[in-house]
Amino acid sequence: MRGDSGLRISHVGLRGIVGRGLTAGHILDFAAAFGTFIEPGRAVVVGRDPRASGRMAWEGVVSALMACGHEVIDLGVVSTPVVQHALQRLDAAGGIAISASHNPAEWNALRFLGPRGTYLSTAEAGELLDIYHLRKFRFREWNQLGALRFDEGALDRYIDDLAAVFDMPGLRGFRVVVDCCNGTSALILRRVIERYGLDLVLINERVEGVQFAHEPTTSARMVELQLGPLIKPLNACAGFLFDVDSDRVAMADEQGRGVSEEMMLPLLADDQLSRGPGKIVITNMSSSMLLEDVAARRGGRVLRVPVGRQAAMDALAAYRPEQIAVAGEGTGAVMMPQFRFIYDGIASMLAVLTMMRERGRTLGELLSDYPKYAILKGEVRLESPRVPALLLDLLAAYPDGRIDRTDGLRVLWPERWFHVRVSQTEPIIRVICEQRGEPPQELFEALMDKARSYS
Amino acid sequence: MPREHLLKISVSGVRGVVGEFLTPSLALHFAQAFGTYVGRGRVVVGRDTRTSGPMLQHAVNCGLLAAGCDVVDVGILPTPTIQIYVEHIHARGGIGLTASHNPMEYNALKLFNKEGQFFNHYERNELIDLYHQSDFTQATNAEIGRVTRDEGTAKAVHLVRVLAKVDVERIRRRRFRVALDAVNGAGSVMTPGFLTDSLRCRLDAISIDPTQIFPRVAEPRPDTLGDLAALVLKTGAEVGFAQDPDADRLAIVDEMGRVLDNDDVLALAVLRALAVVPGDVVVNLTTSSAVDDIALGFGRRVYRTPVGEANVVETMQAVGAAIGGEGSAGGVIFPAVQLCRDSFTAMAFLLDLMAETGKTVSQLVADLPQYVRKSGRVAFEHGRLGGLMQALEEGFPEAEADRTDGLKLLWTDRWLHVRASNTEPLLRLAVEAKTEAAADKLYRTAWGLLTS
Repeated sequence: MRGDSGLRISHVGLRGIVGRGLTAGHILDFAAAFGTFIEPGRAVVVGRDPRASGRMAWEGVVSALMACGHEVIDLGVVSTPVVQHALQRLDAAGGIAISASHNPAEWNALRFLGPRGTYLSTAEAGELLDIYHLRKFRFREWNQLGALRFDEGALDRYIDDLAAVFDMPGLRGFRVVVDCCNGTSALILRRVIERYGLDLVLINERVEGVQFAHEPTTSARMVELQLGPLIKPLNACAGFLFDVDSDRVAMADEQGRGVSEEMMLPLLADDQLSRGPGKIVITNMSSSMLLEDVAARRGGRVLRVPVGRQAAMDALAAYRPEQIAVAGEGTGAVMMPQFRFIYDGIASMLAVLTMMRERGRTLGELLSDYPKYAILKGEVRLESPRVPALLLDLLAAYPDGRIDRTDGLRVLWPERWFHVRVSQTEPIIRVICEQRGEPPQELFEALMDKARSYS
Repeated sequence: MPREHLLKISVSGVRGVVGEFLTPSLALHFAQAFGTYVGRGRVVVGRDTRTSGPMLQHAVNCGLLAAGCDVVDVGILPTPTIQIYVEHIHARGGIGLTASHNPMEYNALKLFNKEGQFFNHYERNELIDLYHQSDFTQATNAEIGRVTRDEGTAKAVHLVRVLAKVDVERIRRRRFRVALDAVNGAGSVMTPGFLTDSLRCRLDAISIDPTQIFPRVAEPRPDTLGDLAALVLKTGAEVGFAQDPDADRLAIVDEMGRVLDNDDVLALAVLRALAVVPGDVVVNLTTSSAVDDIALGFGRRVYRTPVGEANVVETMQAVGAAIGGEGSAGGVIFPAVQLCRDSFTAMAFLLDLMAETGKTVSQLVADLPQYVRKSGRVAFEHGRLGGLMQALEEGFPEAEADRTDGLKLLWTDRWLHVRASNTEPLLRLAVEAKTEAAADKLYRTAWGLLTS
C-alpha cells in the first residue's frame, strides 16, 4: 500500500523510513544523480543531522560524489541552515543536507542545495529527478575521482553570520528556555551561549541518533507540553522548540502558553516590513490571512503561491531580493532576505527576541496586538483518483467566494477562507479553514464530511 | 579478438575498472549482500593505496551499515594484515578493497569470512546468489551500527605472529642490508617498519609513498623490477624485496640483482617452514617439483590443487598443511601466521634462512633441487579447447594424466600443464624437466600439438 514505507522520490528530493522504504541504494543513486547534475569538477558541501542512519547515508553520498569527480567538503553533524550558510561562503557547486528535519527518528532524507545555498528551483529539481530515473551517472575514471575534506569552522562562521544581523549581546537580558529535541540546535545554541553569554536554558540538549526525547514536531501543542511548565518557574520570557534540523521552530510566551505556529510568519512579516526595504510577503495558500492585515498595516502586500518549498523558491526567483520582506509558511518555517532566503529556526528565534527588545514588549504583548483568527486543520485519507471530483463538488457548493484553483481549491470570503489540497508527502487530503474571531467550526465540519464522503 | 573483462562479478568477488564499470552502486550492493550474509556484528574494512579506494570504501561502509553491521575501518593495510585482524578481533568478516596485482585503474572487493580467510566455494556461491536476489537486510535507524577507526593495532598483531615463527635475534644480529620496492602500495605503511624496527635491517627503499600512484607494473615480475635490481646493486644489498599493491605477494631479488623465479621463492619458504612446523605441503598443479623433493627430505607429502589461491587454501585447511602456495603466481601461505598469502612471512623466512646458513640468496637458490621450467600462452578459438586437450593427451599416451584443472601430464622426471585462462581465450602452457634440453623438447612438442 502506498505510504507505508514512507518512500517519496519527488521534486523535493528523497525521503522515507530508513530500511523500510528508503534504502542505501536509493541514497547513493540519488547523490550520484546530483553529482551528475551539478557543475563538473567543483566541490560539494555535505552535512547531516544526528540520526544514526545519517552516517550510513553520508557514506553513500560521499562515495557517489567522489565517484562523480567532486571534492566533498564535509561539515559533520550540523543543521541544514549551517550547510546553506557554508555554501554562501565556500566555492562549491552545491550541497546535500542529510536530514529528515521534523520527521520522527526512523526517517531520513536528502535535501539538495544550489551553489548559493538555496533550494533547487522546480526546473532544476525536475532535471535532477530525470537523471535519477535514467540512472546514467557521470562516474569518473580512477584518476579523476574527488577527495574528501572536513571543514572545521562551519558552526562558528554560521554564528558569525547571525551575529552580523542580530545584536547578540543585546539579547543577554532575556532568559529563554529552549527544547533542542536532541538535535543540531543544541550544538549551535551551546556555542552561542559560550560566545555571547545569552541566558538560554537548554533542555533535551544531548545530541541523539536513535531516541529523541519526543517527536520533533514544531507545533503549539508540543511546545506548550514541553516548555509550558518550565517557563514561569524559571522566570523565562519565552520558550522555543526546534526540530532535529533546527530549520523549524515553535514558541511559547512568557505565560507558558504555546503560540500557534501560524503566528511566526505574521510576526516576522511585521518586523521585516517595518525594517524595509522589501514590501512583498511570499507565502502559500494555507497560511493565515492575518498576513494580509499585517501587510496592509505596514504598506506591504502578500503574494500567495501553491504549497511547497518549490513554489516559494520559484516565486522568490521572480523578484529582486530587496523587493521581498519575508517568505514562509504557516508551519512556522520562515525565510529572511538577510540570510538569502533559507528556512532557519534559530534566525527566527533571534528575530523574535530582537523584536521583543526593540519594541520593549513581551511575546504575549506583541501577539496581542494582532486581530484574532482561528484556524482549523484536518486531514482525510483519500485515493488520489477521487480528488478532482471532490474539488468540483466543493466548487459547486461554495460559489459565492473568491476562487483560487492554483493548488487544489481555495475559497476566500472577506473574513474567512478554506483551502483543500492533496498532500505532497502523504496520500491524504488536507483541509484548512480560518476565520476572524471564532473558529469556523461549521464550515470545517462540512468540508471534512464532504471529503470523507469521497474516501 | 581477446574479450576484455572490464567488470567481473564472480565467485571471487567483484573486480573491474573504476568508472562506468566498477561503480559505487555496485560496491554498495555487494557490501550489503555481504553484510546480510555474515550477519549483524563487526566487519573489518581495509584497502590498498589505489586512488579509488576511499570512494569505494565509503560505498562499502554504506552497504555494511545498511545491512546492520558495524564497520571497523583499518584504512590502508596489506591484505594479509586485514585478514589476520578479522580473525583476531572475532569480527563477522572483512572486506579488502584491492585489485591486488591488477593495474591502477582496477579495483576489487575481496571478501573474508570470520576466520579471516577468503570465502570458500560454498560461501561464495551463496553470497553471489544473495547478491543477485537483492534480498538484503535493511537496517532501520535503531539498528544501524557505527563506523570506528582502528589504525595500528592490526599491524602489530600481524607482525607479532610472523616474528614468533623466526629467530628474530639471529636475524637482527646480522644487520642485513636490504632493498625494498613497495610499489607505493599497502606495504608502504608497514614494510619499512617491519624491516628496520622489527628485524634491524639496514634498509634502502623505493616506492614507499602510499599517496602516490604505482610507479611500475603492479605485478612484481622480472621485467618490472629493474629499479629494485638497480637499487640492490647500487647499495650492495644482500637481498631485494618487491611487493604487489596489497602486499600479499613477494618477489625477491638476489645480491646480484637477479629476480628469483616465483617457484624458487616458494621452495625456499617451504624449506624454512617445514623446519619450523609439522605438516604437509599444498601447491597448485603448475608449481615446480622442487617442492616435492624438499618435502620428501622432511618426510612430508605434497598435495596438488587446481590453480587459484582459494583452491590451495581450501586444501590446506582440509589437510592441515604446514605451508602452501602457488609457484606460478607467487605467494607464500603459512597457516601458522594466517591461511593467506603473506609477503611478510616470506621475507622473514628468507632472512631467517640467510641468518641460519650464512649463505647468500643466490647460494640458497643454487642449493635448491634444480629444474628447468618453460611457459607460454597460446590463443585458441572458442569451441576448439576440447579438441586441443584431447590431441595433447593422445600425443603423450605414456604419461599419467591429471584433469583436475585443464590437463596435466606427468612423467617421473618431467611434466606439462595446460589450462585455459579464466578471463581470456588463452591457453597457458607450462613444462618442467630436469635439463634444458628435455624441457625444450617437451615444450616444443606440446606447442606443436596445440597449434597444429
